[in-house]
Amino acid sequence: MPPIRGKTVAAFLACSLVLASPALAQRAQPAGFPDAPGKEVLLAKCFQCHAPTMWQDHRQDRRGWESVLYRMVGRGALWTEDEIKTMADYLATAYPRPAPASNQETP
Amino acid sequence: MRELVARYLSRNISRRGFLKGLTTAGVSLAAAESILDSLIPIAHAQGTGGVAPESVKMVEGTGGECFAEQLIASGVKYVFGNSASEDAQFYEALVDRPQLKYILTPHEGPGAAMAAGYVKASGEPAIVMQAAVVGLANAMGQMFNAYKEQTPLVFYSYRTDQTRRAGRDGFEEVANQEQIVQPLTKYSWLARRADMIPETVRRGFKAAWTPPYGPTYISWHSDFNDEKTYAEIVAQDKVDPRMRVRPNPAEVERAAKLLVEAKMPLLIVGDEVYSTKAVSKAVEFAELLGMPVTQVRQIYASFPESHPLWVGGPPAARISSLDFPKNPDVVINVGNKLQHNSPQPIVAREAKFIDMRNDSWSMGNVMNTEVPLVADVAYGLDDLKAAVEGIMTSATYKKARERAQEVRSFSEKMKNLRALVTKNPDWNRAPMLADRVTWEVAQFADKDAIIVHEAGSVVLHGFDFNPEGGRELFFYYGAHLGSGVGTAAGVKLARPNQQVICLVGDGSFVFGPTALWNMARLELPVITVVYNNHAYGGPHSRVIEKTAGGKMVQKRQFVHDYLGSPDMNMAQIAKGFGVEAEVAESPEQLRAALARARKATVDGKPYLIDAQVARVGVAWSDKPWIPPIIIARERTRKV
Repeated sequence: MPPIRGKTVAAFLACSLVLASPALAQRAQPAGFPDAPGKEVLLAKCFQCHAPTMWQDHRQDRRGWESVLYRMVGRGALWTEDEIKTMADYLATAYPRPAPASNQETP
Repeated sequence: MRELVARYLSRNISRRGFLKGLTTAGVSLAAAESILDSLIPIAHAQGTGGVAPESVKMVEGTGGECFAEQLIASGVKYVFGNSASEDAQFYEALVDRPQLKYILTPHEGPGAAMAAGYVKASGEPAIVMQAAVVGLANAMGQMFNAYKEQTPLVFYSYRTDQTRRAGRDGFEEVANQEQIVQPLTKYSWLARRADMIPETVRRGFKAAWTPPYGPTYISWHSDFNDEKTYAEIVAQDKVDPRMRVRPNPAEVERAAKLLVEAKMPLLIVGDEVYSTKAVSKAVEFAELLGMPVTQVRQIYASFPESHPLWVGGPPAARISSLDFPKNPDVVINVGNKLQHNSPQPIVAREAKFIDMRNDSWSMGNVMNTEVPLVADVAYGLDDLKAAVEGIMTSATYKKARERAQEVRSFSEKMKNLRALVTKNPDWNRAPMLADRVTWEVAQFADKDAIIVHEAGSVVLHGFDFNPEGGRELFFYYGAHLGSGVGTAAGVKLARPNQQVICLVGDGSFVFGPTALWNMARLELPVITVVYNNHAYGGPHSRVIEKTAGGKMVQKRQFVHDYLGSPDMNMAQIAKGFGVEAEVAESPEQLRAALARARKATVDGKPYLIDAQVARVGVAWSDKPWIPPIIIARERTRKV
């Protein structure tokens, strides 16, 4: 897996680059996150480690988002199944899978 | 010569008579004076009657022999070295000193990691040897780790330049070699004379093993190893200050008052709890106050994770990211270095902070510290617990019990929520989720297995580490990669009767696989599991986060992260080092491979599993782009 010079250290760094606390995250109301069920828990939990920009490049279908959220459970996020379901629904609507990229290259 | 020394020390001959006797025997005057100088402390000690005869002995021989003798006297059993021709006399000395075991390591980095693993798992001294500055440079990555992790490891390499040709920019010569390592060591020194080798060795071990621990470096010109000398060898315990500091009693009382009066105190544990064998004291202390317990990044797990007061680690490495407790009013750190990687302090400024550590230098560097407790944390916990008990009342005991119940409720909920990881819709996929590999290994591991973890982007779960007789964790803190396999080999060397499992990422693995050869040669039955996604997954995600929406993501062109095409086969690499290995693509294959690994290790053989892991995260393609650099097509001659 990702050998990172200063791997987990860098993960912590990534966490540090974002908002200071869930409360602050909630106050910040980042653009690109429409009001809908699931938004509140997303802002409170995910923004502790992730910048709002991450979602823009990570568009995928609902199953993909659900898998992402369960991987975060493996990293220590504490959510109920209902919260995961709600967030997956929300993200699948707000950040759905884009049209297939046509500019992928292989050597 | 022995007779002359005995006569001089018993004052039967004068200083002049001693020198004359030696020169008559063919020793140069300079060498004779050197020998005489080395006897002065002995003569002085005899005069005061202060040294037990068995703790000091005089050794006549080459510098290399004296080096070996002092290592034995310093309690060293294993020497981890890479071939160095100027250490010839040291190797010669090993022939009739079988108690000093030399482990040949094919690369200095993993060799030093192996030594560090041995020291950490055994609590016994060891030394790392390498050739001059060229070998030292290879070992310095692990020296950095030892420095960051406060591992008491002694490094030695000679200066290739001999005393009579030093300064001429000769082969393998660099100016001030011993100064290169100064930012990474507690102490570094160049011995100026052959008879000073043992004293330099002693001082190296003394400095490394005096808390707070850390690496040291000792060196001398290579001709000293060949030179005949006469030197004093002293048992290490005669120079070891055995420094275990008790905290200031007044500060202990202040800390106790804060904790007893707190609404919601929080305990952070760290490596000093593990290394001072104070885990049970930390448990009792937390139970006394009904206090939740957490830990930020360290090497060891220093608290039983199945304990009802354990609330997990903060996911974002700050206490504020804990789900529970929110806003603790008093936080006490016991033995954690608190690695700050953020402008924000790990503990919010609003909380009153008590810091108990043996490293006074780092106290207050970042955290506002209400109460500093400079102490060996085992003593510190004893004293603080006694002070708390002294001021607890029936009301505060009741409050502690109620708080413990609140923590227990959260702890049970946390365990249930963490178990949801298996509900991932991709749980059964192949190649596997990293979480699935972790989960399978956690199901497989012995109840007292030692997990050496250098899969940095993989967050472990399901192991329920318990340093009180259960599973133990050896993570890394320094982050010079390539330490995992070597560390696991060293841990198994120290703890042959416990299962040792090494979890390592593919990138980390290829930085330092050579210790596999040591596992095969020494029959160190370690199970190594490589999380192989053929990528640097962590840097991939973090670079994208810094350049969100940028050209790299738009074009799916990442130069820095993909390790496939061709894919590296870690099982084949292992086989090349003499370790049986296989590739596992699916969860079923992984379970079967783990069963074969268990059989191999029971038979005394190491085993490696190359576990194929899915690349997940932003903007990965099934066939990632690679930079179009193909030199064969640019040739004008097909040679």
